[in-house]
Amino acid sequence: MKKIKSFFRYDNVGLLFIFPAFLYMLAFVGYPILSNIILSFQNVTVRNLVKGEKKFIGFENYVTLFKDTVFVKAMTNTLKFTVLCLIFQFLFGFLLALLFSKKFKFAQPVRGLTMIPWMMPMTVTALMFKFMFSTDVGIINYLLRTAGLIKENIEWLTTPSTAMIAVVVANVWIGIPFNTILLSTGLTTIPKELYESASVDGANAVQRLFKITLPLLRPTIESVLVLGFIYTFKVYDLVYVMTEGGPVNSTQLLSTYSYKLSFDMFQYSRGSSVANVLFLILFLVGILYLKITMQGEEE
Amino acid sequence: MDDKKLSTKSNIFYCVLSVAVLIVLLFPLFWTLITSFKTEKEIFMIPPTWYPHVLNTKSYAAQIENGDFNMFKSFFNSFVISTCSMLIAVVLAVPASYSIARYKFVGRKAMLLGFLVTQMLPVSVLLTPMFIMFRNMKVYNTWLAPILADATIGIPFSVLILKNYFASIPKALEEAAYIDGCNRMTAFLRILIPVAKPGVIVCSIFSFLYAWGDLAYGMTFILDQEKRPITAGIFNFMGQYGTKWSYLTAFAIVAIIPVTLIFIFMQKYIISGMTSGAVKG
Repeated sequence: MKKIKSFFRYDNVGLLFIFPAFLYMLAFVGYPILSNIILSFQNVTVRNLVKGEKKFIGFENYVTLFKDTVFVKAMTNTLKFTVLCLIFQFLFGFLLALLFSKKFKFAQPVRGLTMIPWMMPMTVTALMFKFMFSTDVGIINYLLRTAGLIKENIEWLTTPSTAMIAVVVANVWIGIPFNTILLSTGLTTIPKELYESASVDGANAVQRLFKITLPLLRPTIESVLVLGFIYTFKVYDLVYVMTEGGPVNSTQLLSTYSYKLSFDMFQYSRGSSVANVLFLILFLVGILYLKITMQGEEE
Repeated sequence: MDDKKLSTKSNIFYCVLSVAVLIVLLFPLFWTLITSFKTEKEIFMIPPTWYPHVLNTKSYAAQIENGDFNMFKSFFNSFVISTCSMLIAVVLAVPASYSIARYKFVGRKAMLLGFLVTQMLPVSVLLTPMFIMFRNMKVYNTWLAPILADATIGIPFSVLILKNYFASIPKALEEAAYIDGCNRMTAFLRILIPVAKPGVIVCSIFSFLYAWGDLAYGMTFILDQEKRPITAGIFNFMGQYGTKWSYLTAFAIVAIIPVTLIFIFMQKYIISGMTSGAVKG
């Protein structure tokens, strides 16, 4: 009994160490989440933000959302954006990881350098791609023209049908390093003997890829994709700087639409209801991710 | 995965291939750097020039002079905001992660889960409530607002990374410190933190980089251009002078100076931060 008592006393000292961080997060994350939920059930606009009565209007904001064509558009755009980015960044990331798994001389330093895009401020990335995709001075139009693929310059960022392509390309550029590095690490955990014995048994490279690499890499692939989904689904800065959601909402995402409602149209309550929808989706996917990763951990 | 030594021929092949891939991948950076040294006239030339024929450093010089093109102030603002936010994040996260790694206190699992969930939080959820909160706290339109907000990205990341570092330190080391007369606090400060130093460096780097890259908080919580971080400065400038690419690209290059320095001097920490369950906020 005494032992149990002292055990608890020892362990609860831990609370003292975690308390400051916990308090901080409670104040600057916990409280905002809660007040965002409350806000979404009110009718707060610029008129009653500081003073004035904030009326509770129940689910009205959410009901309005689903009748709002821009919201529906933002929802489908976000899904489209996320899926496209995931496919391409995974594909390129995987190819690079396979390349860097070979033991050639430059493997380590070059792999290090490919991490740079991931570290850059999104605003800078957005600026660079906006420049490269611009109609008259853009290098992309020039290269496509020189290669004979297009006859006239494409107005990438001001045409609804092409703006999405431009933002996807920019985001894939950021996402490749993240995929490469995680998949690279995953590849190192596959025992070399498996490849050796497979070679002895006459398996070719393609067979080894599909019969050994991919199945054994599955846990890594799962978490790379789920994490990628979470981080792509909530991308904000990149798209906001490149297109501000335009033209005609063709790149409007849930994140940019929420910002627009709150800080351009000053419809704070409506903006927060969009943010909550975004949050709810991420929360559900997040739980899925935790289920995948927690299986292996003792916690 | 193939551990076999490569033949000289395939070694050269892979080296050339990887360098080619690297050139394509880093082309946007190269192109931005080149453009920042060109004159406006040369930028609009067709076909484009692959290096600046007339070296133009005006876009950089103007950034420290008076006038609309002064980015130096914004750079300084970003530096203060990122450093302060990094300090908050690290000071709070180090003891918290030690606690999670070492003690099985009440509510540990819930708190760990809380940190994991906040890492997945979209900024949009926090923006409006924080905006209202900071107005009430009278910190709206000051550096403190983005500092406080940016730290909420650094803290959960740092806690999750550092707990692995603390967990990997042998318990015997801590016990030896107690025998030598340390109490829990001094053992933590003098023995454990120095051992976990690589982890602390990883957290500092990432907390700094998150804050450095932030646009949403800096733009929303600070109204006055002269107090805003560099990302917001660039965004603002893009709205006003959308096609002044020589200045814009020069701003971009200046904005990534710290990122480049961190990359050059601390590369191994970055890779380790990205792989140990690290994820971008």
